[in-house]
Amino acid sequence: MTAVAAAPRRATHAPAFRLSFAHLLKSEFIKILTLRSTWWSLGVTAVLSIGISLLIAAASRDFGGGFAAANVILSPTQFTMLVAGILGAIVITGEYSTGMIRSTLTAEPRRGAVLLAKAVVVALVMAATTVVIYAVAIAVTAPLLTEGLDWSEPAQSIVPLALGVVSMAAFTLIGLGFGFLIRSGAGAIAATVGVLFVLPIVFSLFSFAGASWQWLVDGAKYLPVNAAAMLTAPGGDELATGGITLAVWALAPLVLGWVALRARDA
Amino acid sequence: MIVAEHLTKRYGDKTAVDDVSFTVAPGRVTGFLGPNGAGKSTTMRMIVGLDRPSSGHVSVRGQDYRRLRSPLTEVGVLLDAKAIHTGRSARNHLRAMAATHGIGRARVDEVIELTGIGSVAGKRAGGFSLGMGQRLGIAAALLGDPHTLILDEPVNGLDPEGVRWVRQFVRHLASEGRTVLLSSHLMSEMAQTADHVIVLGRGRVLADAPLPELVSTWTSTTLVVRSPRLDELVSSLRIPDATVSVLEPGAVQITGVTAQTVGDLAAAHGIPLYELTPKAGSLEDAYLALTDDSVEYKTKEIA
Repeated sequence: MTAVAAAPRRATHAPAFRLSFAHLLKSEFIKILTLRSTWWSLGVTAVLSIGISLLIAAASRDFGGGFAAANVILSPTQFTMLVAGILGAIVITGEYSTGMIRSTLTAEPRRGAVLLAKAVVVALVMAATTVVIYAVAIAVTAPLLTEGLDWSEPAQSIVPLALGVVSMAAFTLIGLGFGFLIRSGAGAIAATVGVLFVLPIVFSLFSFAGASWQWLVDGAKYLPVNAAAMLTAPGGDELATGGITLAVWALAPLVLGWVALRARDA
Repeated sequence: MIVAEHLTKRYGDKTAVDDVSFTVAPGRVTGFLGPNGAGKSTTMRMIVGLDRPSSGHVSVRGQDYRRLRSPLTEVGVLLDAKAIHTGRSARNHLRAMAATHGIGRARVDEVIELTGIGSVAGKRAGGFSLGMGQRLGIAAALLGDPHTLILDEPVNGLDPEGVRWVRQFVRHLASEGRTVLLSSHLMSEMAQTADHVIVLGRGRVLADAPLPELVSTWTSTTLVVRSPRLDELVSSLRIPDATVSVLEPGAVQITGVTAQTVGDLAAAHGIPLYELTPKAGSLEDAYLALTDDSVEYKTKEIA
């Protein structure tokens, strides 16, 4: 048959082109960096983060003593985490709403690899951005602080800042996981904002409910935002609890998203 | 070579593709025909692993698509023009797709050139016309220089120049020994492009045959006959299958006989003929005859 004739022809210029995870990562980097929504998200994160750090730094003179300089840089996280989560969500829901996911999955039919590549890329992009943001924030707030960062004490400086970078990457992954699981942009963003922002408020309402609801209030520390606060507290003693809790929050939606991605038709 | 064996896809209690088996051979263009909802797109999506068959199996060159080590160099797919992120430029879309297989910029520029989208390559795909979107989709399908092409409605929305380009291009690819499967609703286009046709209706294979065979099996040749002594001629026709209908005074249309029979008959009786025109059936006639009962979304006949 002609199939036999066709096969050697292909073999003679057997392409060096080969699907690999490294290639997939490069593709995902191109994808994320060629969308305006990414740059908007990163820009908003930067403006929010540096702006709020400046405000806190300006006000810190009036706080009196005992305010860790690292907190000036880290406090904006409770706002920027939302943008991080939303970026994670739209990285994948944008593919579903436009149909791009079908191109993605025909180029790489092993779906687990697609999810992993996206997770690595979106986490790295957010981590790199956060490093830059922190560097700028440290530089611009320095003149306003009476007591700057003490680099000789890692527990007061580099450790919480590094864990802050990790936390931002984790928030992005929470959004990504919900995106894979829910597929719809609005749904995934609602779930992400709900977990990051609304649940802590709901939990805190129960602090007025008396002792019988105290367990619920105590449980609030296992929410992502509070886990991140434990993790990034300068000189904190609950790093392990915070770290494990945040890791579970970042991974659980991703694992569920992976199960959904494997099982469903695209 | 694409081989589908007992392919079935159910959505709830609706069966979109029902025990479909066929082989798409290399070296020729295979057309996929069928009414809307016949299961063409679903079948194509199952070939490339986007949809999982409820039962049955489909392979490309003997392998499950999901197990291919370099899918883009094996299979080029255009499923619909909307498989592109609207916020990304055409060139960046192609770069991202190419990067998955380590295909370089040179090939990206080549397919941009080949499909004629150079002037809009830097623009965001969301603003593309249907035709430009199709060209971009075809460009993406060609990135890996694949030996199998699966094109769902490739000429949908293209201008006449683009339609002709697709036709010549897929014929050229098939002549190189590649496997080409394409669907289209444009019968005249399909008749000019395909060598072999698979007709689907309500999720089943209604026909799977070379195009000329399909047309001759499912249509009958009609003869237009003009003569001053028509009555005599018609009454001397003693063929039970023949049907005669009057077109206008002095002209009839006859089916079920060959031009040769009528010509010989006229000569034997000394009847002059003014016209004897055989009219072969078209792919469209064959298609309509085939799918008559299996059209799911039927339009009402205009009285």
